[in-house]
Amino acid sequence: MGADPDPYWTACRRGELAIQRCTACDARVHLPAAECPRCGGTDLPFEPVGGDGIVHTFTIVYRSFVPAFRGREPYVLAWIDLPEGARAFGSVVGCPPERVTVGMRVRVMFENDLPVWRPA
Amino acid sequence: MREPAVQGFAGRAAIAGIGLTELTRRSGRTELELAVHAARLALGDAGMPPAALDAVLSYHMNDSAPSLQVARALRLETIGWHNDISGGGSQTASILGDAAMLIANGVARNVLIYRAMNGRSGTRMNTASTGPQEHFTLPYGMAGPIPMFALAATRYLHDTGLTAEHLHAVVAQSRQNAAANPRALRRAPLSLDEYLAAPYISAPLRAADCCQETDGACALVLTDARLAPEAPRVRAVVRGGGPGCSAMDRAPDVSAIFSGTVAPMLWAASGMRPGDVDVALLYDAYSWLVPRQLTDFGLVRPAGLGDFLLARGHAGVNPHGGLLSEGYVHGLNNVAQAVRELRAGRETALVTGFGGSYGSAALLTRA
Ligand SMILES: [Zn+2]
Repeated sequence: MGADPDPYWTACRRGELAIQRCTACDARVHLPAAECPRCGGTDLPFEPVGGDGIVHTFTIVYRSFVPAFRGREPYVLAWIDLPEGARAFGSVVGCPPERVTVGMRVRVMFENDLPVWRPA
Repeated sequence: MREPAVQGFAGRAAIAGIGLTELTRRSGRTELELAVHAARLALGDAGMPPAALDAVLSYHMNDSAPSLQVARALRLETIGWHNDISGGGSQTASILGDAAMLIANGVARNVLIYRAMNGRSGTRMNTASTGPQEHFTLPYGMAGPIPMFALAATRYLHDTGLTAEHLHAVVAQSRQNAAANPRALRRAPLSLDEYLAAPYISAPLRAADCCQETDGACALVLTDARLAPEAPRVRAVVRGGGPGCSAMDRAPDVSAIFSGTVAPMLWAASGMRPGDVDVALLYDAYSWLVPRQLTDFGLVRPAGLGDFLLARGHAGVNPHGGLLSEGYVHGLNNVAQAVRELRAGRETALVTGFGGSYGSAALLTRA
């Protein structure tokens, strides 16, 4: 089940990455959810995280299926492990796509209110 | 000695007929016309008049002809159990179980199964929804299954040590197997140099690592095994899934696919073992799914996987070229091939259906 993700995007507009935390079991929950997948808790405030991450996996898109992104290839899509214990989706920017590796340390930044990741 | 099978329908349904239209890039026909053509071929193959059908099952992603329209076009005066199951590749094997349960429970005697699609000229799969996560992935330029399963593939190659050379071995073998198959859309050999020189769509996946977008239809006629003593039997069918590439936000292993969950279910439900399989029809929508399933189903040990692939130990997998080379009728054409293999004397065929980390598998056996 999804939750109201508005606080996530509102935080993004402040330049902050805010991830839900379950007040019952302290688990970090992302992508946003209405109930904690670990304990079922429903009190899940969005709280800032440090902004560090590690590339869990990635792909380099050479042929986009999103019309607005055609002509912008190649670009990197990745799942990023956060040390707080959640996984975020985003692009990796600030280095040539072929330099991205699994396990690479990255740091969040914001482009047009969207969190993206650059080499740390 | 084999353990007794635990599924009540085991061995009680038989696949009496198969039908496959021509596979093309532009059929020039409606999905309904394709479905009816495939159904008539399957009925003819089974030696059964349309009026003998009392159930019709199909699966679709809002891109097919509804079962009632097909029944009407076949001029069935009345129809019994009929269902249009919402879903894609995960249904490929489990729809055999749906039909077998109808037959074993006396609900139906003769069941038509079909999948019809204009997968190239009509509704293409490459922008199909990847689910509710899209709110968080679309803004970054992610759409459709290819980048999604490329993300899983990167991690799979990282964890296993497999490389582009191994993926090439899968695709090249598929092309080689398809060379003698006149139905196949791709039959030309693929050298390692050609493969490596081809551009990526979504690294590490090149176009050759993805199945053929296809216009066509495939149909099967299942019947009470007592009425078709010579026909291949549905021995065991399982369907399920768990954490993995369908929900990468939470999965411990984002490269996990359906087979990690359903393989143990299949061996438990059938009382059979990996060594009993003498032909494997693996859902090869993407090249890397072949090695992943080979180890998940226990057909190959993970330790020797890379060498096994380079030595083409998988030459017997998908002997018709599979979804990578014959064509992609959402996997059902692999089931048709399983029937051909069993008719030709193989004892036991494994067929699988992939829908990310959810899917299905079936064991079919010679009569
Ligand atoms: Zn909790």
